[in-house]
Amino acid sequence: MKTFQMQCKFEIIRVLRNRYFVFWSLVMPILFYYIFTNVVNTNAPDKAEWQAHYLMSMTVFSVMGSSMMTLGIRMVQERSQGWSTFIRITPLSDTVYFAAQMMGQSVIHLLSITIIFIAGALINDVSLTALEWVMSGLWILLGSLPFLAIGTLIGMMKKVETAAGISNVIYMVLAVAGGLWMPLEIMPKMMQSIGKWLPSYNFGNGAWEIVRGNMPEWKNILILIAYLAVFMLLSKYVRRKQEAV
Amino acid sequence: MNEILSLTNVTKSFQHKIAVNDVTFTIGKGEVMAILGPNGAGKTTTISMILGLLKPTAGEVQLFNHQPHEKQVREKIGTMLQEVSVMPGLKVREILELIRCYYPEPLAMEELIDLTGLTEQDMKTRAEKLSGGQKRRLSFALALAGNPELVIFDEPTVGMDITSRNRFWQTIHHLADQGKTIIFSTHYLQEADDAADRILLFKDGAVVADGTPAQIKSRISKQSVSFIVDPEISLENLYLHSEIDDIYRKNNRVYVQSNNTDRVLELIFQEKIGARDIQIERGKLEEAFEQLTSSAKEAI
Ligand SMILES: Nc1ncnc2c1ncn2[C@@H]1O[C@H](COP(=O)(O)OP(=O)(O)O)[C@@H](O)[C@H]1O
Ligand SMILES: [Mg+2]
Repeated sequence: MKTFQMQCKFEIIRVLRNRYFVFWSLVMPILFYYIFTNVVNTNAPDKAEWQAHYLMSMTVFSVMGSSMMTLGIRMVQERSQGWSTFIRITPLSDTVYFAAQMMGQSVIHLLSITIIFIAGALINDVSLTALEWVMSGLWILLGSLPFLAIGTLIGMMKKVETAAGISNVIYMVLAVAGGLWMPLEIMPKMMQSIGKWLPSYNFGNGAWEIVRGNMPEWKNILILIAYLAVFMLLSKYVRRKQEAV
Repeated sequence: MNEILSLTNVTKSFQHKIAVNDVTFTIGKGEVMAILGPNGAGKTTTISMILGLLKPTAGEVQLFNHQPHEKQVREKIGTMLQEVSVMPGLKVREILELIRCYYPEPLAMEELIDLTGLTEQDMKTRAEKLSGGQKRRLSFALALAGNPELVIFDEPTVGMDITSRNRFWQTIHHLADQGKTIIFSTHYLQEADDAADRILLFKDGAVVADGTPAQIKSRISKQSVSFIVDPEISLENLYLHSEIDDIYRKNNRVYVQSNNTDRVLELIFQEKIGARDIQIERGKLEEAFEQLTSSAKEAI
């Protein structure tokens, strides 16, 4: 148990010291949030609703990014620097190691969610009911699972540069096409119909529904679970293939 | 039961290459053993199998009478791999704290610092900013963090300067005095000769000699008697004796090669050739090593 705690603690310290994390997962989303709710005039019919909507978009954007990039790139780094090999020789069990990574990642997400929510409340006086804050926070925390699975897939790449490049592209495509930067409604019909099937849209939509006083749609939940299953199977398959060589 | 490690008919082949070929040996508690061999001899592959990082193609590895990957085995071993590994994002002190908590009875932090020569400055540095030498010290400290009974080092001194090297061997002797079992690989003969009380000589993936440095020297390298003699004097009579393997001149001295140097001395006086400044030459480990490993290069 002490090992697990220590492992979590140091996983968290490592993430917080990572400049890319602080920039992409905290500074960028808050900056974007400020710009698209205050500087750029978006002509939103209901200003308060737009401010709450976009706060969810940016929080989802942040958590999605650290699930894929922080986790994935760290895995590649540890492997390419021989650290994973060294860990295999120590008595640390795989289960504790994996659990601590997931736990550490969740704490980091909770922290990002809290900071960005507070930023939203301070910048635009976004006011939701306590239940809405908690529910949307929980949704974002749990909804990150398929993206953590993408992270482990990215983590199987050989080189840090490749992993960083590819995950960046996936990240941006998912964010834009999933309507996290701009609402899907203002995009061409084609893009809209594709976007609705992306994990990022379904991740975001659950939170958007919550701040409108609804519950996430069943479709959102099912699609995210389906993506999680696919990515986990894929990751299992790739690992088996890598081990066979 | 003093047997700590045993390999039984262990073979490892990669796609087209047999890296380790039918290796069998055991190590008892407290031994300091060098795995000596030129590059590509199979040292790293053997060590990887001992550590459970690679599965043998055939044969069996047992540590403390268990499989290498079992937790109770891992708690008793410490290791320094050929490729130094660091955990990015943490300071040296933090990494050591973390690794220490994996083990049931870790070494105290102060002792770890003492043994490995980590400085206060090193402790505060983040892993990714360490110099090569600092990484080596960290790596050494990581190997000792769990207070292991068996320590395994793969080419530990590569990349160390003279000071760190001396310090490293001092610590190894200290650990050996405490009764720890130590295995290290090297391609420096001198190191194996100085530091180990047993040498396992590897060539092309097989063990070609196993014994104390002295045993290996006497078994493999030829001994000879050398002396100075008037060049006019014929040495033909010496050739007639079957105990003598070879006679040659080098640097004004005559060398008579034989496994029985006592008999050679007898013959020299018997034949009355007027030999002066007689010396008995023991084979050097260097030569034995060259002899044993050179045919590998010829074969390529
Ligand atoms: N993963 C691998 N795939 C193919 N060949 C390998 C692999 N690892 C080692 N070898 C080969 O096995 C032989 C022994 O390698 P190694 O154990 O690293 O030698 P040493 O450590 O003594 O220098 C070498 O010829 C090397 O090329
Ligand atoms: Mg090697």
